Amino acid sequence: MSRKYDTVIGLEIHVALLTESKFLCSCSTEFGAPPNSHCCPICLGLPGSLPAINAKAVEYAVIAGSALNCVINPFSKFDRKNYFYPDLPKAYQITQDAYPICGPGYLDYYVQDKLERTKIVRIHLEEEAGKLIHSGESIIDSEYSLVDYNRAGIPLIEIVTAPDITAPEQARLFLEQLRLVMNYIQVSDTKMEEGSLRCDANISLKPKGSPVLGTKVEIKNLNSFRALERALEFEKERQREVLEQGGQIEQESRTWDERAGKTMTMRSKADAPDYRFFPDPNLPPLNLDPVWIENLKKSLPELPLERLHRLKDQDRLSHYEAAFLVNYPDFGDLFEKVKVTFPEPKAIVNLLMGDYARLAREHGHLNPVRLGELLQLLADEVINKNQGKDILEELFKTEEDSPAEIVEKRGWRMLSDAAQLRKVVEGILADNPDLVGRFRNGENKLFGFFIGQVMRATEGKADPEVVNNLLREELEGGRN
Amino acid sequence: MIDREEVIRIAALARLDLSEEEIEKYQRDLTDFLTACAQLKKVDVSQLRATSHAVTIKPRLRQDRVGPSLKQTDVLSGGADVQDGFFRVPRIVEGQG
Amino acid sequence: MKKLAYLLQSKQVSSIELVEKYLAQIEASEKKLNALITVDKKGALQAAREADQRWKKGENRSPWDGIPIVLKDNISTRGMRTTCASKILADYVPLYDASVVTLLRKQGLPILGKANLDEFAMGSSTEYSSFGVTVNPFDGNRVAGGSSGGSAAAVAAGETPWALGTDTGGSIRQPAAFCGVVGLKPTYGRVSRYGVVALAPSLDQVGPLAKTVEDAAILFSILAGTDPKDATSANAQEFNVPNWDDALIKGLKIGIPKEFFGEGLHPEVEEAVRRALQILEEEGALLVPLSLSTNVYAIDTYLTIVTAEASSSLARYDGVRYGQRKEGADSNTMFAKTRGEGFGAEVKRRIMLGTYVLGAGHYEDFYEQAQKVRTLIKDDLQSAWEKADLIITPTTPTTAFKIGEKRNPLEMYLSDLYTAIANLGGIPALSLPCGKDSRSLPIGLQIMANHFQEELMFQAAYFLEKKLLGRA
Ligand SMILES: [Zn+2]
Repeated sequence: MSRKYDTVIGLEIHVALLTESKFLCSCSTEFGAPPNSHCCPICLGLPGSLPAINAKAVEYAVIAGSALNCVINPFSKFDRKNYFYPDLPKAYQITQDAYPICGPGYLDYYVQDKLERTKIVRIHLEEEAGKLIHSGESIIDSEYSLVDYNRAGIPLIEIVTAPDITAPEQARLFLEQLRLVMNYIQVSDTKMEEGSLRCDANISLKPKGSPVLGTKVEIKNLNSFRALERALEFEKERQREVLEQGGQIEQESRTWDERAGKTMTMRSKADAPDYRFFPDPNLPPLNLDPVWIENLKKSLPELPLERLHRLKDQDRLSHYEAAFLVNYPDFGDLFEKVKVTFPEPKAIVNLLMGDYARLAREHGHLNPVRLGELLQLLADEVINKNQGKDILEELFKTEEDSPAEIVEKRGWRMLSDAAQLRKVVEGILADNPDLVGRFRNGENKLFGFFIGQVMRATEGKADPEVVNNLLREELEGGRN
Repeated sequence: MIDREEVIRIAALARLDLSEEEIEKYQRDLTDFLTACAQLKKVDVSQLRATSHAVTIKPRLRQDRVGPSLKQTDVLSGGADVQDGFFRVPRIVEGQG
Repeated sequence: MKKLAYLLQSKQVSSIELVEKYLAQIEASEKKLNALITVDKKGALQAAREADQRWKKGENRSPWDGIPIVLKDNISTRGMRTTCASKILADYVPLYDASVVTLLRKQGLPILGKANLDEFAMGSSTEYSSFGVTVNPFDGNRVAGGSSGGSAAAVAAGETPWALGTDTGGSIRQPAAFCGVVGLKPTYGRVSRYGVVALAPSLDQVGPLAKTVEDAAILFSILAGTDPKDATSANAQEFNVPNWDDALIKGLKIGIPKEFFGEGLHPEVEEAVRRALQILEEEGALLVPLSLSTNVYAIDTYLTIVTAEASSSLARYDGVRYGQRKEGADSNTMFAKTRGEGFGAEVKRRIMLGTYVLGAGHYEDFYEQAQKVRTLIKDDLQSAWEKADLIITPTTPTTAFKIGEKRNPLEMYLSDLYTAIANLGGIPALSLPCGKDSRSLPIGLQIMANHFQEELMFQAAYFLEKKLLGRA
């Protein structure tokens, strides 16, 4: 990036809420049903039908707002946003314009190991539109389009950030953290591929240090974290080139073309729509009980950043280890459960981040009690590391036997009885007098040979540390 | 007086295809109406809040339970152009592709 | 209606006979009146047969089981087309019943048909219907009023014992006055609007039209109450037909707002209303002169709100999911052609006005301003209730006007001069026949009450009706 400009980015994120029924009617929100099979007079906008607000959607919006440190407004209102589009059944969207359910808040997150804060301006509740399937490759080259209203009326929250973000990568990290928060509070499944998490971005450049914002461009159709970062990188460069050549940025909406890897003009400000917002006369304002709001705030689960700090501060994990457990909450939860029976955070995280992670991705997670038992065997030096790996693989096949039982059945118990091992060591030394002599004369590398011989004699079960000590005692004791 | 361009802009916004005659007629009607409403603008309402509903209504929210939807064939029964379980609309972006 | 119910109960008449009688009357008078858009002979007879079966087994759903009704054609009836008197919905068949229709069916009322109206209830004469004007039963050259003109005329002509209408600015009361029947616009939210095609949702209400006050009260008792499907009906109260009690009139404070007896009021209408007031006074009611000075803003405020809300409520008719469609090369062209052709002139006019007043740069000056003036009007009404229990005015400045007489839309809008205030204030208001003018055209008197005070209003109306008609 040129040193002449600061990049200014703000995001608008749509999150589909994980309610059973739609926002304003009782149709199912299930994904993947046959087209137009989850529709009723309300979500089809049949003449005379009226909306009825889903209490759960309101609750989820309050939970989301609380998790993003937002002011929750007990009083909020629903407005109509009027525009014509084939996927919009009533030709207006029920949304919140003047009085949103959540006011200012913020989200903290790490960019590398630096803690950053992005301000949230507002969060409002609204209804989703239907889904369009275009006859051609894209909307532009399609002769006709097909409309499915199953999605129409699913509850959404729109989260609007301040233009606080200074780099495309930071925008991606913010969105990743936001998604994690939504997952932690379980208000959305945030599947970008199914459209339950979508992002529009505003980006502008301004001369370095200038307090005056430049003309912003809106980018739509950002359907993945990668698309967000790439589109912003592209747009940043495009705007820089325009400015450096003395040109002016046009205020406009652009769409991200994933295949072409570039943004393209959708519409300019000149034909910006006039949405004619006004209060929906069919819906009285919300008047939420402040006590209810407070209780929801209090019952929030531990959020990603809190968990990260706890893992670092209390469990003494590195940032990298803690971030792993936070970003993969299933691992984080497993970690906590294993810790109950085996309170050694470092050992647990080492196990989870190693072979276990690969195997669990394939087969699903193991019982935390079994993992605790395995870690205990390793810690007690009943088995060695390699045996631990074998037992892990065995557990992914069946968890019927405990690690201890597997050890017993296979006779894998580590041989660490010093008296027994001394006999083996003595036997091997007695069988190889030449080599003993050479070692004692300084041929140090032969030490490994002796270890190998002991391991072979004990079928690999010998505790390497004990063997090591015994050999040193026996060999070096006679060295002068 | 509302100008002609404004009438055309409003008709486009409201998706109303108007004839030349209608444009002229609504230009007059709009002007008359706005003249008649001019007295409203003079009322001092600076101390007042807007009323959306004359009766104060305690909102009552719906429980999140799935109810029956309509059958797909019924949903589509009113559509002028349907295909494979979908409603069909002509190209969305104007001009040819 | 009590008489009909008695006849049904005592098996002196069957529901089939009743329905056949009304169908015969429809047959006889429709050519002249054009009160109905759809007559559902088959459906009504079927429902009547079922009602008779229930009576036979003593399983009647209500005392009114089998007494038929007519609905204004902007009230959704499952399987029976609901046109809103618009070309765009000429073939539209709803997939569901309006909540009020469900209530009527639960009581066993057969539906004879659907009544004419001004397109999407925008108008005061049914001249804006795309199914032709409804003629006043008292004078073939005059309008029945509107927008519930079909419902009022059908009741007046004996095509139905009662009917449902909708009222946004006077659309039940004005045609009731013109046709000499009783019409009630209930308190906003007291009757569910679910399934009633919206004109202006913050003003619309469904209400009964009937020959007598008691019949209107009975029908209202079926309709009133909370409906979970209509959020604005959340604190609605049910209504029971009261025991009629003349003693309530004594000491009743009747507000007489001077603004409703001024310029523009026809002397014969004034005289009839004053006579009714005198009857009340003789019975011991106190006539309280008062002022509703904000009524001068009522029409403009009303029009601004109605057009704004209507422009949005009617946006859904885009030719995609239901209704008629006119093809175009692209979606926007298709929308514009569909709507340009499907809507009549008045509907388009109001959509244009509404789109303008909500538009960028106009919202504060027009729509929001109107909402604030509405607060002023509401406050004005509230202070009136400190002085009076009821307010009585003429329903309309004149009796029924001639078909084609009002060519200027602004002139037509003035038909709501005395009625719109009740919608803006959300209060109940009832129109009662109080005499006839020298042309033998009915004159209507309007009684208004505070929110949810329908019962007191009905008591006064019942008393007046009895005195005026010499009914004992
Ligand atoms: Zn639905």
